[in-house]
Amino acid sequence: MFPWNYGFHWGAASYLFLGAFYTVVAVVATTLLRALLRARRDLRGNRTERIRWHSDFNDLPAADRVCRHVLTGEFKHRECPHAFDCRECATHAKLMEHAKLMEHRPATTPGESESEIFGMQFPAGRYYHRGHAWARPESDGTVTIGLDDLGARLLGTPDAVVLPSAGTQVRANGTAFRVRRREADVRILSPVDGEVVETGGADRGYFLRVKPPAGGMDMRHLLSGAEVKPWLMREMERLQMTLTMEGGSVPSLADGGVPVRDIAAAYPRADWDAVCGEMFLEP
Amino acid sequence: MDKAYITRGVKRCSTPRFLLWIAPWAALLVFGIYCAGLCLVKGLNQTNMDNRFAFGLWIFLDLTVIALGAGAFFTGFLLYILKFKELKAVINSAVVIGLVCYSGAMAALMVDVGQPLRAWFTFWYPNVHSMLTEVTFCISCYLAVLLIEYLPIVLRNRKLREVPGFLVFEFELHKLIYVLAGVGTFLSFFHQGSLGGLYGVLRGRPFAFREGIFVWPSTFFLFILSAAAVGPSFIILTTSLVEKITKKRLVKRRAFDLLARISGLLLAVYVLAKTLDTLIWINRTSPAHGFTASQYYDWKPFGTWILFAEIVLCGMVPALILLTPRLRARRAWLISAAALACSGVALNRFVQTIQTLALPTLSFDKFLSYTPSWQETGTFLAVAAYGVLVYSFSFRYFQVFPEERELEAGAGRY
Repeated sequence: MFPWNYGFHWGAASYLFLGAFYTVVAVVATTLLRALLRARRDLRGNRTERIRWHSDFNDLPAADRVCRHVLTGEFKHRECPHAFDCRECATHAKLMEHAKLMEHRPATTPGESESEIFGMQFPAGRYYHRGHAWARPESDGTVTIGLDDLGARLLGTPDAVVLPSAGTQVRANGTAFRVRRREADVRILSPVDGEVVETGGADRGYFLRVKPPAGGMDMRHLLSGAEVKPWLMREMERLQMTLTMEGGSVPSLADGGVPVRDIAAAYPRADWDAVCGEMFLEP
Repeated sequence: MDKAYITRGVKRCSTPRFLLWIAPWAALLVFGIYCAGLCLVKGLNQTNMDNRFAFGLWIFLDLTVIALGAGAFFTGFLLYILKFKELKAVINSAVVIGLVCYSGAMAALMVDVGQPLRAWFTFWYPNVHSMLTEVTFCISCYLAVLLIEYLPIVLRNRKLREVPGFLVFEFELHKLIYVLAGVGTFLSFFHQGSLGGLYGVLRGRPFAFREGIFVWPSTFFLFILSAAAVGPSFIILTTSLVEKITKKRLVKRRAFDLLARISGLLLAVYVLAKTLDTLIWINRTSPAHGFTASQYYDWKPFGTWILFAEIVLCGMVPALILLTPRLRARRAWLISAAALACSGVALNRFVQTIQTLALPTLSFDKFLSYTPSWQETGTFLAVAAYGVLVYSFSFRYFQVFPEERELEAGAGRY
């Protein structure tokens, strides 16, 4: 069989035995090679961010993966099957056709009307991502992306912010920018796809302005109008639970107060990395 | 100090405390490596084995950990092939346990066989009629499969997944994991069977010799069945132990319940098959070789109590507990039953290895007794220490129990 193995004779047993095991070796090697080739294809095709989000989404606790229509009470239990990308969801499309929510969709023109929810500013003219980012269509066709008020209060005055350079492509549910505060280093998920054309630093409030891809901006996957309040109510509950769990506070009943401007500073003993990971959907 | 490497949101002890935990195990491992080194350099005269008592503590350890590690292949089979989604909660732990068991067994075998530089001979000059060749091929291939299955667990480490190459490779490999689960099932299946077959074909040892189907003696099938039965029990046992040590809930009860049901059912089938096999052996196989079964049990301490302990106490009793919903719902009963089932398979492997060799078979033979030397014991303990260390590091830095965060959050809810 092999060189220098002179005494070996092929027989039915050796065909069967060696055939079976070398087939197994071939299958294992092929599987490994296939995974490597697919990984190379993903890297070359810039699919890393999509894969990162899918991987993160699957790691989220089941309670955090709920469908947006559970938040509004249209379903009792439903796990989002599309990793919060409702653009691919037939159920969402069907529900939206009939929903009265459609009437409350924000205007796509600038000029926001202020809307205060639980003492925080959630202007009605914006679309909200469940990772605490907002998107606002501008009159020149671009879209501005920023951190919503709860997200901003969670991070307070950041220790560092890493904004992408102009020309960078961002995609919905991919990383828009990174923020560091205390021991927490989190990525803020981009609510939309597009190419970064401008960024704003600390003096102007951190934001990105992106140019939508050809074919225009699709915002169906983002929360808006009447959906925002129930979502935020759930987020406040989640925050309270997380703070309790991470040693930030003792279990307490909500008293209707308003979140402070810098929550991180108000809870110096809490594991802020864990709190931010939970709230910004980065397990 | 190492917080950046620990999964976000899970609680782990401080680094000094972790170092304190691993220090004695590391010391034991170093001592064991010294013992193994002595055996490899000076030869097997460092052990109390000889030409007559050629299988000792190491082979007993090998057979036992391989059987207990069967939870890896069986859980993978149930999750990825039969789609028992509840087992997602324990699959990573099962893979780590499988890897520890198989690599530990292979390390012990390397010392036992000796001449590690000639390890490749078995692949180059295979004797396809030997069960041992089948064992070698299966254990090598399955260890490779387990290493590949372990890779996604490692690559999911918080720091490693920041590297895009690792992230996408882990993602793509995980999508193909069902292929590896299938291959692993095939390999482990034959490996367990071949280990059993090794004893069943010993015509010169009527205590072990069994009849069977085609080329496979009944022990081939009994080893597979017993390993598949206790694999889930060992996962219950280890998970409970980790929960006890870390003082936290790691797995939802429904996963335990499913594992217990599967283990109980397979254990019941195994007990039935083992009973039938024993009856055939007592009434037909053994008399045909000129022995009455009672003769095997005249040599103390190997009395009939062993048979009772193996089949009834560590077989039928845990099977009944695991199959009774009210009993398995109680933690103490569940853990006791799982521990009994695991002890049963260890006792079976002990009997097959030690009792088989200790009993005289020829008129001029004597009953042999065997006590392992300190070098053998040291090597044995090194495998145990290695297992604890690999599991401890995996638990600290990787997501061994994916439900842990969720359960911790649940515990925080008032």
